[in-house]
Parts: sequence; structure tokens; C-alpha cells
Amino acid sequence: MPMYKVKPVSPADIKIDLPTCMYKLPNIHAQGMNCGEHALQNGEVDPALKALEERQDEVLRRLYELKATVDGLAKTVTTPDADLDASTLSRGPAESVFRATADLDSLLGKDLGALRDIVINANPAHPPLSLLVLHALLCQRYQVLSSVHVHSSVSAVPPPLLSCLGPRHIDSYARQRFQLGFTLIWKDVSKLQMKFNTQSMYPIEGEANVARFLFRLLSAEPQDPVLATQMDCWIDTLRSLNSALGRSPWLLGQEFSLADIVCACCVLRAGQTTSAPANVQRWLQSCQNLGHFDCVYPLLQ
Amino acid sequence: MTKDNVQGAGEEEQQAQSKKALKKQQKEAEKAAKKAEKQAKLAAEQQEADEDDFAKDRYGICPMVQSQQKLDRALVRVQDLTPEKAEQQIWVRARIHTSRAKGKQCFLVLRHQQFTVQALLAVGDRASKQMVKFAANLTKESIIDVEAVVKKVEQKIESCSQQDVELHVERIFVISQSEARLPLQLEDAVRPEGEGDEEGRATVNQDTRLDNRVIDLRTTTSQAIFRLQSGVCQLFRDTLINKGFVEIQTPKIISAASEGGANVFTVSYFKTSAYLAQSPQLYKQMCICADFDKVFCVGPVFRAEDSNTHRHLTEFVGLDIEMAFNYHYHEVIDSITDTMVQIFKGLRDRFQTEIQMVNKQYPSEPFKFLEPTLRLEYKEAVAMLKAAGVEMGDEEDLSTPNEKLLGRLVKDKYDTDFYVLDKYPLAVRPFYTMPDPNNPKYSNSYDMFMRGEEILSGAQRVHDAQLLTERAMHHGIDLEKIKAYIDSFRYGAPPHAGGGIGLERVTMLYLGLHNVRQTSMFPRDPKRLTP
Repeated sequence: MPMYKVKPVSPADIKIDLPTCMYKLPNIHAQGMNCGEHALQNGEVDPALKALEERQDEVLRRLYELKATVDGLAKTVTTPDADLDASTLSRGPAESVFRATADLDSLLGKDLGALRDIVINANPAHPPLSLLVLHALLCQRYQVLSSVHVHSSVSAVPPPLLSCLGPRHIDSYARQRFQLGFTLIWKDVSKLQMKFNTQSMYPIEGEANVARFLFRLLSAEPQDPVLATQMDCWIDTLRSLNSALGRSPWLLGQEFSLADIVCACCVLRAGQTTSAPANVQRWLQSCQNLGHFDCVYPLLQ
Repeated sequence: MTKDNVQGAGEEEQQAQSKKALKKQQKEAEKAAKKAEKQAKLAAEQQEADEDDFAKDRYGICPMVQSQQKLDRALVRVQDLTPEKAEQQIWVRARIHTSRAKGKQCFLVLRHQQFTVQALLAVGDRASKQMVKFAANLTKESIIDVEAVVKKVEQKIESCSQQDVELHVERIFVISQSEARLPLQLEDAVRPEGEGDEEGRATVNQDTRLDNRVIDLRTTTSQAIFRLQSGVCQLFRDTLINKGFVEIQTPKIISAASEGGANVFTVSYFKTSAYLAQSPQLYKQMCICADFDKVFCVGPVFRAEDSNTHRHLTEFVGLDIEMAFNYHYHEVIDSITDTMVQIFKGLRDRFQTEIQMVNKQYPSEPFKFLEPTLRLEYKEAVAMLKAAGVEMGDEEDLSTPNEKLLGRLVKDKYDTDFYVLDKYPLAVRPFYTMPDPNNPKYSNSYDMFMRGEEILSGAQRVHDAQLLTERAMHHGIDLEKIKAYIDSFRYGAPPHAGGGIGLERVTMLYLGLHNVRQTSMFPRDPKRLTP
């Protein structure tokens, strides 16, 4: 019987742009009209699928390569008699730590013709001994204008703290003649703080972090990332001090470094020098013999 | 008014003649009723007054104190009224800060300078109703003598400075009465600006204060400010005397303008005219040439600058220093900065009460400084400003906004409100400034800043007559006018340097206030000549 004919709402042959990022599945209904599916049914591989497979192969290959590199590195570090000699990884066995020159401009920013002043705010109840040692080292390296100030938040400061950076430089009236300024302010602060370029830098807090910054100025940062990580470990923790010092004269091996400075200061400040184990005592004595710690001892009383 | 009346009369004339008459009658009736009420009230009051006033001799208005008699009476100051004096009967002379009657009691707050105490007068066997009424009607600011017993209170009286005691009044006499209408209310004068706007209460604007300075100075804030200022002066003198300085007095009527021609006041001097000194500069230096080595002077300075700013006055008090040095002018800078630091320390340690009192009305950050004082060079300052994005030439003078920005940058980095800027460019300094030996574009001159505003300008002076003449000519100054000045360097002059600060400006910046007129007792500016 004749039915009511409805005009088709949409044309029968709409062209649909299938997105290429989707996976193509074979048509479940065998009567599919699509030519692509038709081809699949014949066993040919869809080009998109092919590209995907290739990409997957590429990624896997790169992963294997990376794994091989890491394995190689692990081998060289752990086994001393591997092809790569571990000791040649350091900056040069014969050189002392602090003889390399630093590029102050790259570290501190372009020189605008004025003194670059590092400002450190410290609490007189907790003098930052390691920073004083670093200051002494900096003075050997560069022309440093050092000054000590007392902030108005502190009413009185014992005299040794006022002269902790050494006597006033004879040329201190001509600030421009110096490459670097080191201004220590005794202030009522809870955490040690360093400010350099307040426009572009946040203040650095904490004695360990400031020590790292200053050490970088001495360009004695080890190039090998492995040693750098080890050094960072030592700066922050003090575990197994004695056992480590049993294996080598300094904390990081054959060279005196920042880790030794910071740890020695911590130990000295804790005041346990007489009761420390033999290795630690020997190590402290070596530190003292270097002469860099002379500025620290008067403040320990 | 008249216009309205005429209009009204014109319009309503024809309409409601009777309405008007009715209204008039009503009004008259009301008036009569009110009058009757009043009369009845008066009669009642009269009756009260006629009642026996047993306390008649314990209150009243004293005759004017013309030194009629010498009373052997000890008057206790309000600030000494503490719980230790409990149960003692004492005499107090103070002003009436407020008086409030509540039924049979009258609460008075008595004030002396910064200190206030509550006093209570209640009807009882010692005080009659008339006495309480008399006390309640006393005008504010009147000076009274009160005999009272000091009583401890359990609950602290928050609104007074003496919080642990109150006075129970036995006798009350008026020494000097004040007029009822005050040009400004003292509570309004100490109200902080913000609070006034928020709660819709009045604050007093600056002009009203300055016009009625005598009353404005009675407020606790003003008392604190000027006591602190007195401290500044005293610390300045003491520190310098301890350093071996000699105080000198220099003439203020002078024959030639010292700084520059433009900003001097002229006075008629018999048949000619003379000038009021812009600074003691010339005479300080002459004293150094006269072998006094280290001198300072405290005195008025007159500048006819038509600047109506927050920090300029036409007359202010100058604290000036001049010192001969041995080899380097930094010896003088060190001396001046040490003096300033001693002043700051003295204020910090001995005037905390005053600082807190001022902060109640004008809150601000406490003043921070370093010892020894921070000294930066002009080049460093320019570098800091450039790093902060300011475009300026290396030899350009610092504009006021740049000075303020520099102050903020220095505060950020070194956390100090006071520092010295050394080695200014020569071009922007007066003719008697000594040029820098290594770089002729710069000079041995310095400025000192407090909270980013300049308080002192100083330099090493040229002590060679030859060089001085050259520099004067270079600046186009008439040599005839400064002949006496140049002559003083012809007979051997030691190398010397110095500087001067303004007392009002230093006080203003130390306390973090915003207008120098607040720290000048009777300020003078281009628009104000009185009181």
C-alpha cells in the first residue's frame, strides 16, 4: 500500500572528512560501502596505520639507545677499571681548586660602571662562619671592598663581630677601584639573607645557599655534575662524616672544596672538636693548616 | 526670604485669608504654652537653687591670680598620678579635657600636656547638687585646681593615659576660664585621617590648625612632636660638643647673598638695604680660617623661595657643621654621619613614648639606619636607577622623583632609611665646591637622604683664593659682591668641609610625617606670616 513519502532530510551522499588522528577499525557490518574498509578487507595496510607503526619503532629505538648510554655511565662510575678513568673527569688533577678565573660579568650581570655590592643580612647570635671563610677566599681572588654595618634593629654587637671581615681596606674611600663589594649587616633576622640585584634577583636565604652562590664566584664549581651533586649532598647533611674522611683526605676526594668549608664550620660551631673521632680531628687540623679558617677562630669564643 | 514672603502673600492673599488667620492663632497658642512651661521650669530651678548649698565654699571661680598670696601647696602633676598614691588627698592643676554630667554624677577628664586622668564628682555629703551642676557647666580647656583623693580602679580606664587610678573630687576651683566656643575641638585634632572619613567624624584641616596654633599645639601629638624636636636639637649639640666642636653664632643680616641672588629677603638697613642670611655658610668658613677647627651653629635660615611644597618653608632652623680635616674630606663625612647616627640612636632609645604617641595619629614605619652609615657613590646610584628602568645621563642631577625611587631601591637592598650619596657631578653644585682630583667632571660633594628625601647638602670647600676666583667667574658671579669672602682665604686656610641640615625636615622625616608644617611650631611659607 502506498506510504506517505517523506522528503529526505539530508542528502544521501554527504562527504564526511574523517579525522586522521583517529584509529581506523574494520567495519563490523560486512556490507560497508567505504572503499577504505574495502581495501582493508583485502589485507592491505592502511597508510595511516603504517606511519603510526613507524613512529612507534622510532621511539622504541631511542629508548634503547638512552638505556645503553645510562648503563655505560653507570659502569664507568662504579667500576674503577673501566675504559674511562674517573679521575680524569675532574677539572685537572694538578690544578688547585681556586686558580681558575671566573667571568664576573657572566655571573653577576653586566658591569654598569659601578661597584657590584653583595649584601648579607645576618643575625649576630648566629654568625655565618662559612661565609667568612668564603669572604677570605674571595679577597684572594678579587679586589673586594668589605664593610660591616650594624642595623638599627640590633642595639649592640660584640667587637669581634665588627672586625670579622678584617681591617678596613686602605683604599676604601674610592669604591670604584674595587671589583666586588661585600657588605655584611648585623641585623635582627630569623634566617640569613643575601641580596644582590634586587630588581632581577630574589633574595637568597639560608647560609648553605649563600655559600653556594659565593663559591660559584670563585669558579670552583666542579664541572662534573656527579661531583656537584655529591658536593650538594655534603653541604646539606653531615652523615657518616668520619667514615667518609677515613677514605680520603677531603670530603670530596683529593681536593679541598666548599663542602669542607661548610662542614668544618658546622662542626666548629657545634663545639665538639675535642670529642670528635680521629679522622674528623685530622681533617679539622688540615683545614686549619690551610690558613683560610683564621678569621673564624676568634669568633668561636 | 522677602521674595518668598511677597510671592506667598501675593498668591495666597485672595485664597485663604481665613486659613492664615487660623494658622496664626495656632502658632500663638503654642507659643503661649511653651512660655508657660518655661516659666514653670525656671520656678522649679529657682527653688532648687534656694535649697541649702552646704558645699558653697568647696567650689567656685577664683579671682584672677595676681600673686595675691603665696600658698604653700604642692600641686601634683597628672603624669604622677599612679596607684602608689592611692588614698592620698592631693591638689592637681590641669585643664578640663571633657566634662559629662549624668544625673547626680559628673565625670571630668583632666589633662596636663600628654597625660589625662578621670575625675569623679558625685552628689553626696561632700558635694551638693549645685556643685555638681557647676562642674558640669565648666567650659572645656579651662584651667582648674582640684583637691581630690586618688582611688585605684579595678577596670582599666582605656581612654585616659593614667589608666589605673581616678580622682574623687573634694574641691574644685577655676583658675582661668576658657570661652565656650572653641575654634577647633582637640579630639578632632588628634583623630587619624582615615578614621575621620570612615566614621563620618570631623578631622581638622591644616589651615585651621595653623590659624589656631595655640590650641592645636595642646594636642598630645603636637606635644610629642615638639618634645622630640627638642631632643633632636639637644642630641645634636651634645654629640658635637663631645667631639670637640665649638658652638658659634653667625650674623643673619648680611651684605651679600651667599647662595645665589634669587632667593633672598631684602631688609631696609638705615639708608641702604641688607639681606637676611640664606645660610651661615660664609661665616662658618671664615671661622675655620680663624682657627676654630670644628664649629657648629644652630639658628634661623631665610629662603625667599616661592615653593609651596610639603617640605619647604621660608624660615626654618638650620643646624650647620663645618670642620677642618687632615687629608681627606671623608673624615668630615664620617663625623657628620656619626653625629646623625647618635641622634637617631638617642631618639630611638629615649623618646619611644613620643614616637608611639605620634604614630597613633600618623602611623608610619620605624626609622631604620646602619652604623657606620652606608655611603654610595653617584655612579652606583645612576647604575641602580638605570637598572630600574630610569633614563638619565651620567652627569645629570637627580630629580625629586628619582631621589625618591633611589631611596626605595636602597631601602630594598640595604634596609636603611638614611644614607650618603658621594661624588656628585661638578656641574650641579655651587661655585665653592672642590672639584674631584681624578675626574674634573665630578666633585667632592655629597648629599644625605632620609626616607628618600634630601636633608643635607655638603662638600669639601675650595680653600684656595685663586681657584675660588676661577670657579666664581666660571659661574658668572659678581666678584665684587664676594670680595670679603675670597679675602678670608688669602692668609692661609686649612682644607675644610661641612654641611647643614634643617631641624624641621629631619624631625618630619624621622617620624614619617608628610608635611614640614607639622614640625614647625609657627611655620612661615609664601602664604603664611602669622601667628
